[in-house]
Amino acid sequence: MILDDEIKELMRYIESSSFTEFEIEREGFKLKLVRRLPHESNGQAAAAPVAADAVGPPAQAPAAAMTAARVAEAEPADIHQVMSPIVGTFYRSTAPDAKPFVNTGDRVSKGQVLCIVEAMKLMNEIESDCDGEVLEVLVANGQPVEYGEPLFKLRTSGARAV
Amino acid sequence: MFRKILIANRGEIALRIIWACRELGIKTVAIYSTADRDSLHVRFADEDVCIGPPRNVDSYLKIGAVIAAAEITDADAIHPGYGFLAESAHFAEVCEACHIRFIGPSPNVIRLMGDKARAREAAAAAGIPVLPGSKGAVMTDQEAIRLASRIGYPIIVKASAGGGGRGMRIVLSAEQLVPALSAARTEAQAAFGVPDVYLEKYLRNPRHIEFQVLGDSFGNVVHLGERECSIQRRHQKILEESPSTALSPKLRRRMSEAALKLARSAGYQNAGTLEFLLDEDGRFYFMEMNTRIQVEHPVTEMVTGIDLIKEQIKIAAGESLGFRQEDIVHTGHAIECRVNAEDPVTLLPSPGTITTFHLPGGPGVRIDTAAHPECRIPPFYDSMIAKLITRGNNRMEAISRMRRSLEVMVVEGIRTNIPLHRRILNDPDFVRGNLDTGFLDRLLEQKEDAVAAS
Repeated sequence: MILDDEIKELMRYIESSSFTEFEIEREGFKLKLVRRLPHESNGQAAAAPVAADAVGPPAQAPAAAMTAARVAEAEPADIHQVMSPIVGTFYRSTAPDAKPFVNTGDRVSKGQVLCIVEAMKLMNEIESDCDGEVLEVLVANGQPVEYGEPLFKLRTSGARAV
Repeated sequence: MFRKILIANRGEIALRIIWACRELGIKTVAIYSTADRDSLHVRFADEDVCIGPPRNVDSYLKIGAVIAAAEITDADAIHPGYGFLAESAHFAEVCEACHIRFIGPSPNVIRLMGDKARAREAAAAAGIPVLPGSKGAVMTDQEAIRLASRIGYPIIVKASAGGGGRGMRIVLSAEQLVPALSAARTEAQAAFGVPDVYLEKYLRNPRHIEFQVLGDSFGNVVHLGERECSIQRRHQKILEESPSTALSPKLRRRMSEAALKLARSAGYQNAGTLEFLLDEDGRFYFMEMNTRIQVEHPVTEMVTGIDLIKEQIKIAAGESLGFRQEDIVHTGHAIECRVNAEDPVTLLPSPGTITTFHLPGGPGVRIDTAAHPECRIPPFYDSMIAKLITRGNNRMEAISRMRRSLEVMVVEGIRTNIPLHRRILNDPDFVRGNLDTGFLDRLLEQKEDAVAAS
């Protein structure tokens, strides 16, 4: 297993090289580093640190024009991402002081409202497309999201909607 | 001046708008469907937002998604380019309601000129020659039959909500009229959502001459000369030039005055193009007005030195036109060839991945393109991959520059119509300037005859 220091070392090495993409796979671990050209995307600053791997302690990525992205193949088959079907602003609840629709650890069923994506003053309720447990909320409250942006990571149980 | 403009388009025109914004110091937002994720307009814009899956109706035509993208990026204006939502009065209204400036004329003017039957009426009311035809939409078959026999065959049935050559039926004699009306209405309903059709006298093989106009919000309207767009197939232009070999200074003056008259009477603002048909006897008739920037705008830019996209942005930002009619000078001659991803013989679209891509250059050569080596030409959008424009001090120089440019333009991995363009540029009638809207059909027939005879 790669240790935190090794990952940091690796990222420093890649950053100073001319590689734009780097991928490494070992047992139970896969790491992919992609260099993005300096440019904003939905207001998400490229300098935000992102965790690197699926197994082992989270790495601390150096703030740089690089993001470490988890590769889909490394995910177990029962992990499902709910993606935004529209462009807009993501809200965890119906109002600023209301309870969030869901929290990490909650069990949800297919069709259950997980969040709101607001566009043009219309509050669109986004429903879960499968039964499961909320593992992670991927977007911060009030952040803009684009079409296809992953919003929630669920561990599915039973049939998944296609 | 605007801080940030969202470009509601894709491909070469999206890049073109980004260039103008960069020159003006304006930030840009690109929107894209998942099929365009790796496109150059996405890469070169300051920000980008994915707005939907590949189909137009789910992405580039989805008003809610486009506006939402402008909201989350805090864009203060939207440039619609051409096609897509560029002539949607509804979209322009939604922009206004959301306090986002739409870079184009007002919704009312878009609506007026977008209804081709109403636009004809407006032109007639302004004293501009229009083709003999119905006053507006024809409501009954009886009305159509009466009118058609008065106008005289051949006539053409056109969709009121159509344009760009779609939703039309040519009727050569009285027996064909009723079936043609029925077919055109059905097509119009399906394509444009409105079954209304109007009638017009049909000119066989006229020339298609269009005038570029610009109007600001202070009532100043100028024209930037004409473009000859007679080289068309199925009403799709593939080669345009300026000036037209058919226009004497006197005819140019009369036509440009007609163009200005209509634009002024409509209170026209921003960029627009008035299309005319010119018959063999030098009579011209108003056909339709396009309330957007056009694909072939570079031709006018090359002979006037005026950046039309920058002017559009400046006008929309409330600036007055920086020049008067007498300041506009035309020099030289320009030609544009639209390079399409299509089989040069069958003319069917040829999507795929471009492997080799080499562009011409040198004096008087301009390329507007979003294609590049290894880029995928998706099947979802139109097949134009590049515009090749040449300028010369005279028409012959523009032609010879275009010929030598086409000879070295290499596009591999897909088929293109470059061979067809080379045939056109070497055709004796083209070189003599003997053009009309039947030119390309005749040229294509020649090849078939040659093949059949061999």
